[in-house]
Amino acid sequence: MLLEINDIHVHYGKIAALKGVSVEVDEGEIVTLIGANGAGKTTILKTISGLRPLSTGRILFDGRDISSMPGHKRVLAGIGQAPEGRGIFPGMTVTDNLLMGAYARKGDFSKDLQEAFDLFPRLAERKDQMGGTMSGGEQQMLAIGRALMAKPKVLLLDEPSMGLAPMLVQQIFSIIEEINRRGTTVLLVEQNANQALRLAHRAYVLETGSIVKSAPARELLDDPQVRAAYLGAGATD
Amino acid sequence: MTMTTIKTAWTALADPVRAWWAGLGRLPRMGVYALLIFGALLLPNDQIGSFMSPYSDWQGLLFFPIGGYILLAIGLNVVVGQAGLLDLGYVAFFAVGAYSMAVLGKIYHWDFWEIIAVGIAVTALSGVILGAPTLRLRGDYLAIVTLGFGEIVRITAQNTAAIGGPNGMNGIPHPPNLTTWAFPSAQPFSALGLSGLTPFKYAELDSRPYYYLMVLAIVLAIIFSKRLANSRVGRAWAAIREDEDAAELMGVPTFKFKLAAFAIGASIGGLAGVLYSTQTVSIIPDDFPFILSATILAAVVLGGSGNIPGVMLGAFLIAWVPERIRFLAEYRVLIFGAVLVLMMILRPEGLLPSRMRKAEFAEGTGGMGSMGGEVSTSKKTVGAGE
Ligand SMILES: Nc1ncnc2c1ncn2[C@@H]1O[C@H](COP(=O)(O)OP(=O)(O)OP(=O)(O)O)[C@@H](O)[C@H]1O
Ligand SMILES: [Mg+2]
Repeated sequence: MLLEINDIHVHYGKIAALKGVSVEVDEGEIVTLIGANGAGKTTILKTISGLRPLSTGRILFDGRDISSMPGHKRVLAGIGQAPEGRGIFPGMTVTDNLLMGAYARKGDFSKDLQEAFDLFPRLAERKDQMGGTMSGGEQQMLAIGRALMAKPKVLLLDEPSMGLAPMLVQQIFSIIEEINRRGTTVLLVEQNANQALRLAHRAYVLETGSIVKSAPARELLDDPQVRAAYLGAGATD
Repeated sequence: MTMTTIKTAWTALADPVRAWWAGLGRLPRMGVYALLIFGALLLPNDQIGSFMSPYSDWQGLLFFPIGGYILLAIGLNVVVGQAGLLDLGYVAFFAVGAYSMAVLGKIYHWDFWEIIAVGIAVTALSGVILGAPTLRLRGDYLAIVTLGFGEIVRITAQNTAAIGGPNGMNGIPHPPNLTTWAFPSAQPFSALGLSGLTPFKYAELDSRPYYYLMVLAIVLAIIFSKRLANSRVGRAWAAIREDEDAAELMGVPTFKFKLAAFAIGASIGGLAGVLYSTQTVSIIPDDFPFILSATILAAVVLGGSGNIPGVMLGAFLIAWVPERIRFLAEYRVLIFGAVLVLMMILRPEGLLPSRMRKAEFAEGTGGMGSMGGEVSTSKKTVGAGE
């Protein structure tokens, strides 16, 4: 198992946002986490990447317990994240944003930069534009490209389709598939459950801080409860 | 309408200079730097003084507040402009430096040059002591805690008998003379107003040797700060300033770098304190009030947070303008305040912002930033409605 989240509890002050969540992600998989607003999806990703401390439970990555490892060291360990809201550096150019992604690594990054530009030709066209002036969709590409610059073993994506036009959503999802084909494990958080379940191998359903279902993604597509709650098909069934 | 004119005029003035500078090679740049330093050395001239400061002693003014504010602004700029941490208690480090000089010089009779080194180390340490427990806080919370720290340092000084309590300390020693060599009374020195000047003799009356010491400190602080800005440390600070969580996700040890910014900013403030203290001979706790922290912060923001020429210009204006308009008597502070407000409406990003800072500003995040943006947008809307 590449990433193993073991019964974690996370609190904001006294309020419990995660109440004993366990998630497993195997090497090479695309795993998706779906759930309503406020279910705790972002909190799970932030806890994995070390931005939030956990109260109890353990996170194992690559066989190591990383529960108390500071966030910046988890990047070196192989965890990359494109955060919710994208987290682009507005005052840095597209190229500098990408290079920040490789901050923790040493050496020559021209090849990695080229790879990012191959994956997202739009970024290559705008490589000297300030990050803050990129459109929402372009920023999403930049956030993913930047996370890849760290050469992560697992890529955490928090709602990459948020606020994007349907055409662009399609494009982002096929790029995620391509990233996975090239060997990167993906943990994907999505509101767009329909698309996410078609793309992923396995899925977890999160409700108010607890996992209520986990199954192969395709199965959940036909699950009446999931359809009713997350696929907007409740009325027709 | 006049506002827009002024705005355009300023841009028309600043942009070509910026473009010319960007196109300049390494060697010509060195030449410009040398010329600027040379110019700074000639500033304490009486003719310049009669124009720049008809109401107060120009040479004294050049050392402090002008030189002092500039050095402090460069130091605070590391914290506020580069790492993006709002520090409202920066005066504390100035005070720690000044008291280090006073205590080590007067009580322990240490040599001035040793005190400079130790003073810098002590203030850096005080930066770490303040930073370590507080830098986990963000934004407004950090600002409030630093404000408290500034007051704690002043009040502690007030209540510590060993360092003079509210009466402070006097008889702080001057630096030992390096040489008593004087400029000869011949051309070209007499024309430049230099003849008879002993640039390395630190006595009571002539503030020029102290001013030269200040210029040296400023030059060193600029070099140090510039080097940092262009290094891995500078990139990390920029990332922290723009999005701290994202910076951590890039593998930047954010806490460590914030602490470093605090320590480095503090040590520059401490250096300013040592110089101030050795020149003025006597200091009291009330020399280090909150308003001085606010003033230096105003200089940084007015000039263009993050850009060294900008913050130097801001510090110069804030130190010099109130002296220059002394003839306005009691309206002086009122007018000065009004000018500051007007400046921030016209150029909320500062007089000379860096390119990065401009782009961050356009994002409209951060309290003061979005306020400035709103002012100009609402004006546009009014114009369109007519
Ligand atoms: N910084 C915070 N302080 C207090 N409570 C928080 C904080 N961040 C999140 N929460 C709470 O924790 C819960 C889980 O939030 P989280 O952001 O993980 O939800 P989410 O599943 O990502 O939702 P969305 O789909 O809307 O992004 C919510 O109830 C939220 O209000
Ligand atoms: Mg979320």
